[in-house]
Amino acid sequence: MAELAKVDTKNEPTAGEGVDWKTVKSLRSKSATATKAIVVLLLIAAALAFVIYKGISNAIQYFYTAQQAVAQKAQLGSKTFRLEGIVVPGSIKDTQSGVDFEVRFANTIVPVVEIGSPPQLFQPTIPVVLVGHFQGNYFWSNQIMIKHTANYVAAHPNRIKNAGGGS
Amino acid sequence: MKSSKFWVGVLAVSALFGVAVTYWLGLFVTPPDVIQGQLVRLLYIHPSVAWVAYLAYGVTSVGSILYLWKRTRSLKWDRLAAASAEVGVVFTALTLITGSIWGRPTWHVWWTWDARLTTTALLFLLYLGYLALRKVPAPRDKIAVRSAVAGLVAFIDVPIVHQSVVWWKTLHQSATVFNASLSPKVHGEMAWTMLVSFISFTLVYLWMTIKRYQIETNIDEFDNLEVEAAIAERLREVDGLVNSKASSGTREGGPKDGGSIS
Repeated sequence: MAELAKVDTKNEPTAGEGVDWKTVKSLRSKSATATKAIVVLLLIAAALAFVIYKGISNAIQYFYTAQQAVAQKAQLGSKTFRLEGIVVPGSIKDTQSGVDFEVRFANTIVPVVEIGSPPQLFQPTIPVVLVGHFQGNYFWSNQIMIKHTANYVAAHPNRIKNAGGGS
Repeated sequence: MKSSKFWVGVLAVSALFGVAVTYWLGLFVTPPDVIQGQLVRLLYIHPSVAWVAYLAYGVTSVGSILYLWKRTRSLKWDRLAAASAEVGVVFTALTLITGSIWGRPTWHVWWTWDARLTTTALLFLLYLGYLALRKVPAPRDKIAVRSAVAGLVAFIDVPIVHQSVVWWKTLHQSATVFNASLSPKVHGEMAWTMLVSFISFTLVYLWMTIKRYQIETNIDEFDNLEVEAAIAERLREVDGLVNSKASSGTREGGPKDGGSIS
């Protein structure tokens, strides 16, 4: 079976004059020509290059913790970056343009001015990643992303008879 | 012994039944999460489809190694690698889509360039490239060799995707089930439903891969039949030619075969 498939046009014996050779196209490549397949491969390669570029410029240092950001405040200047911290309970105040609050990482607290409405899961003690920049002592953010933990706890623990040691 | 067709049928019915049970448990039986509320229900589809993508690419790698290894070289391993990769790409796409749908209400963004999302997008494109490479016309065994190499190279990204949440800071949460201490951070009905979803989607994977493998086998068989038919046709022509030339006194050697696969 496989042996037959190995037959290559280059190795065909020389045909007698006036003999037309028949080429049997594989069902596999009936709809695909070399050009078409190579164009698709090039498009995929371009997409790969784009994703790798985005990854290198964003994913390696995806965010600075509030502590790192404050430590590197001078270098960061007014550059836009992502800042991570936990929303400090009692610090959330609604404003006309959005919401003011504080985020904390270890012992460092950063006051935040958020322009725009916060996401539905925004609440005290939730970890957030903010996109924005420093301006004075404040971090001006225009996007809040919720960084969810990997823990899942039922909202009605009484529905689970033995929650396997869950609190 | 029942025929393999019967067992594939049983597999199909079990897979669909499992998915139905997953939906029922996931949507009606399990409770909402204390923080995520109803959004937690993604837990019963997204991690399991991502797992199937890993599994599929693992099978592709095994098929590729077995094809490249001279002692086990057989086109059946290439067909298995191809079938599994194709199902893997479907499940990687599902992982990206379900994650995005959940990300919007939970994180507040459809997409972000963190390490987990970026390496998963890479995974999708790498195996899409693998499938495209298979379409570049070449002799059958050449297709198999180059795909096997490409499949193994692409697999390097699988452990990177899994470890991305550990190696880099990400918005995506760390592993709930396959974490370092192997202690799932999910309990009760939620954990059971997750387990059912993992089993069900794995069954769906097996079913889809077997079906896809059968199609690949049919294509190879069909190609061989066409080549054989072409050879037979050619031999008849040559016979006719030889006979007519023999009668006029000139004779040329007949070709050994007349078919080629492009």
